[in-house]
Amino acid sequence: MTVAADSAQMALAAILGESQVVSEPAACAAWAVGGKVPKYGVEPPTAECVAAVLKIAADHDLAVIPRGNGTQLDLGSPPSRYDLSVSLRKLNRVRHFEPADLTIGVEAGMKLGELQDFLGREGLWLPLDPRGGATATIGGILATNSTGPLRLRFGSARDMLLGIKVATTEGKLIKSGGRVVKNVAGYDLSKLFVGSFGTLGLIVEASFKLFPRPASRATWVLEPGTLGRARDLRGRILNSPLEPLRMVLLDSGAAGLFRQGMHSGGEPELWIEAGGSPKILERHAKDLAEIGRSMGIACRTMDELAEQQLWDQLINFERSLPALHSEVMIMKAALPIACSEQFLSLARQAAEGDGISIAGIAQPGVGIVHLGVWGVKLGEIAAPLVTNARKSAESLGGALVVEQYPAGFEGERDVWGAPGDLLPSMRGLKAVWDPRGILSPGRFVGGI
Amino acid sequence: MKLAALVRELEKTLGREAVLWRPNDVMLYEYDGLSSLRPPDVVVFPRNTLDVVRIVKFAAQHKLLVVPRGAGTGLSGGSVPWQGGILVGFARMKEIVEIDLENQRARVQPGVVNLDLSLAVSDAGYYYAPDPSSQKACTLGGNVAENAGGPHTLLHGVTTNHVLGLEVVLPSGEVIHTGGKSLDRPGYDLTGLFVGSEGTLGIVTEITVRLMRKAEAVATLLAVYDRIIDATRTVVAITARGITPAALEMIDGFTLRAIEEATHAGYPMDSAAVLLIEIEGLREAVEENAQHIESVCQENQVRQVRRAKSAEERELFWKGRKNAFGALGRISPSYYVQDGVIPRTRLPEMLEFIGQMEIKYAVKIGNIFHAGDGNLHPIILFDRRNENESKRVREAAAEILFRCIEMGGSITGEHGVGIEKINLMPYLLSADDLDMMRRIKEVFNPDGRFNPGKVLPTSKMCGELRAEASVGGIL
Repeated sequence: MTVAADSAQMALAAILGESQVVSEPAACAAWAVGGKVPKYGVEPPTAECVAAVLKIAADHDLAVIPRGNGTQLDLGSPPSRYDLSVSLRKLNRVRHFEPADLTIGVEAGMKLGELQDFLGREGLWLPLDPRGGATATIGGILATNSTGPLRLRFGSARDMLLGIKVATTEGKLIKSGGRVVKNVAGYDLSKLFVGSFGTLGLIVEASFKLFPRPASRATWVLEPGTLGRARDLRGRILNSPLEPLRMVLLDSGAAGLFRQGMHSGGEPELWIEAGGSPKILERHAKDLAEIGRSMGIACRTMDELAEQQLWDQLINFERSLPALHSEVMIMKAALPIACSEQFLSLARQAAEGDGISIAGIAQPGVGIVHLGVWGVKLGEIAAPLVTNARKSAESLGGALVVEQYPAGFEGERDVWGAPGDLLPSMRGLKAVWDPRGILSPGRFVGGI
Repeated sequence: MKLAALVRELEKTLGREAVLWRPNDVMLYEYDGLSSLRPPDVVVFPRNTLDVVRIVKFAAQHKLLVVPRGAGTGLSGGSVPWQGGILVGFARMKEIVEIDLENQRARVQPGVVNLDLSLAVSDAGYYYAPDPSSQKACTLGGNVAENAGGPHTLLHGVTTNHVLGLEVVLPSGEVIHTGGKSLDRPGYDLTGLFVGSEGTLGIVTEITVRLMRKAEAVATLLAVYDRIIDATRTVVAITARGITPAALEMIDGFTLRAIEEATHAGYPMDSAAVLLIEIEGLREAVEENAQHIESVCQENQVRQVRRAKSAEERELFWKGRKNAFGALGRISPSYYVQDGVIPRTRLPEMLEFIGQMEIKYAVKIGNIFHAGDGNLHPIILFDRRNENESKRVREAAAEILFRCIEMGGSITGEHGVGIEKINLMPYLLSADDLDMMRRIKEVFNPDGRFNPGKVLPTSKMCGELRAEASVGGIL
């Protein structure tokens, strides 16, 4: 604690201990969000402490940004103000686990990888493959509604979530739902918190339904040649009886990134993963080959050893973008599922040229498309690029958010787009949970 | 406002054919599947969203209560206008607005009957997954309000997992659009908040749902047991093995005999319980799982496992289950069904407890469970005219639900809180939890005119209710 400890700092120290309230600028710099450095950082050890910290923050008008492992904090608009970083890292315990019930309750700071290791011993898993992968925390995944290609088969965290406990700015712990797989008693507050970006309260605990881990998995790759043919191919697969775990379409730009050293060129690739017994995998191999043959497209099996690594790399594909270009922008479009391919070609037409490159990865069975854009003068054209890409997404009936602006982008940021007719309702809900506006202020849709 | 003036105004706005007010007419809208209480003052039938806006604005102007109603098949009193007011019926808003197979979505008006949507897309190989037992009658608007479940939600999830967007008329008359055909709309998940809010936050006027492709293969097994404990142990073992059937239903001997007499579904009259197990998916996966399940049944002393050999036989197995409540209605003047939820591993214990309640309260209880979900449906038979018996029924039901809470479960898995279980809410949720829900309600429905007296006890009620906890207070 610095010499000139203020009243907020003293109040925090009173509940956490003096040494537990960090205010050294160098340490605080590590918790910067959107270029803003907080004055203090705390790591409360229990859910009750998190609630007490929020109460103090509200009483002292400290703007709070919650932090898990920091894997999703580049998402969202930069905060309008930021005083206190609240890390949930110490909340990493399993609260209840009934393998025979296929349910678990964990604290929000637990990393997904730790949870999967724990569940793996029982042959179970939580089928999520979000951005940040194993290092993302449960709380962070929920708060940002972070999902990956497994959504095709299992849905998002929203669909597995059975109950939630949150700390409020009044210093209370509120729960909704529970640990049973069906529950309609009262409003479903869990849904409100999924994707609320830390603007309503801090998620401290969550319970989930679990799934048996597939006995074995395999991935096949098909190269449809063009995005138009990729659309046909995807349609045939979705209309077949097959039940893949994951399916992604890499456009030529993305395929090029993942092929370095493996193949030449960059043709669009469709990756399809299935899981289950050898018989089920055989069936997928046979039918996929057949579908490919009917369109004159070869189907190859991905190398078993490289497979999981490639998928992990794909999920965090922004890390694969050429590191030479510090100016990288990532956008995410959510579209009606049959529009993924069309959006990829629209985006490519709009972005390419003038030294700008683009890589797109679609989950064409779900309607989610990630675009990575890079180039030396990206900063200058980023704003119109976003506007155009958003227009394309909206014209197809979808929406677009910017997950990452180019480093040092100084223009006006429009991370979320227009909130439609929902802003008054959202503001009303925000006012219930956070009347003083201290939670992640300015980070969310409509400036919430 | 005087009734005559109210009717005149509404007829002027909506047309004469859209308004009912004569006592004989409105009386038909005083009940749902739980009970009847009192009729609404007036019933209106909007044709479109604009009509609903007009009705809602009119009600706002005159501070009138508004209760939406689909088909009135609910089991918790959710659509019962027990404080009077305007009842908004959706019988004329039953258009399937759009079927978009390429995007696996449909847009429907709230009055569309659940099964009609599945039938409309069936030839193309699709269906709408949530299938409440009342699916031949219940509306999708009602399903959204209650977050309805059904036997096949075990594998695919309940209504909230299949509703992707809503058009809602708020109590102010303002219209909002949540979600849509695509996922991950930026902003709070208001779709998720509105589903299951039992008409207390707004009136849904259009729904965007997910359509699913029918599975390649389906196997329907009927496992017959001589001891009910073996049936419940089988359920626990199936879950523990990580097999998720599409549906896993349990029917006890008493109930299946009543069903058999009514529908001749082929259930063995002399058994203590049957499990109705359905598996769907890829042919290979279905075969594997069917074998696994059969061996789990054998390990748990099953008498016989029968597998439906044809679509007709499958229909017959299900006909029994889906008409179970009606079958019990043949042998008892009244029945009261609960839908508490418990962790699945506690099923054997819970069944024993329900047996004790039968003795303690001298009532007959039939059991049909969505066993795979841990969602109980104890059906208590009684005669409504017998006041003493009715009281014992309410007490037995409350004690079963308290046991659900103690086991870490919930008081309702799919029927909703409605009027019926409002008194139990303070036992399941803390005062702080309830207070937060009340404040959320106030954001949308500040003067409480929309579906009053449902879901959330008033804060004043809480203290009083704790003293006199009961359920189904209107039986």
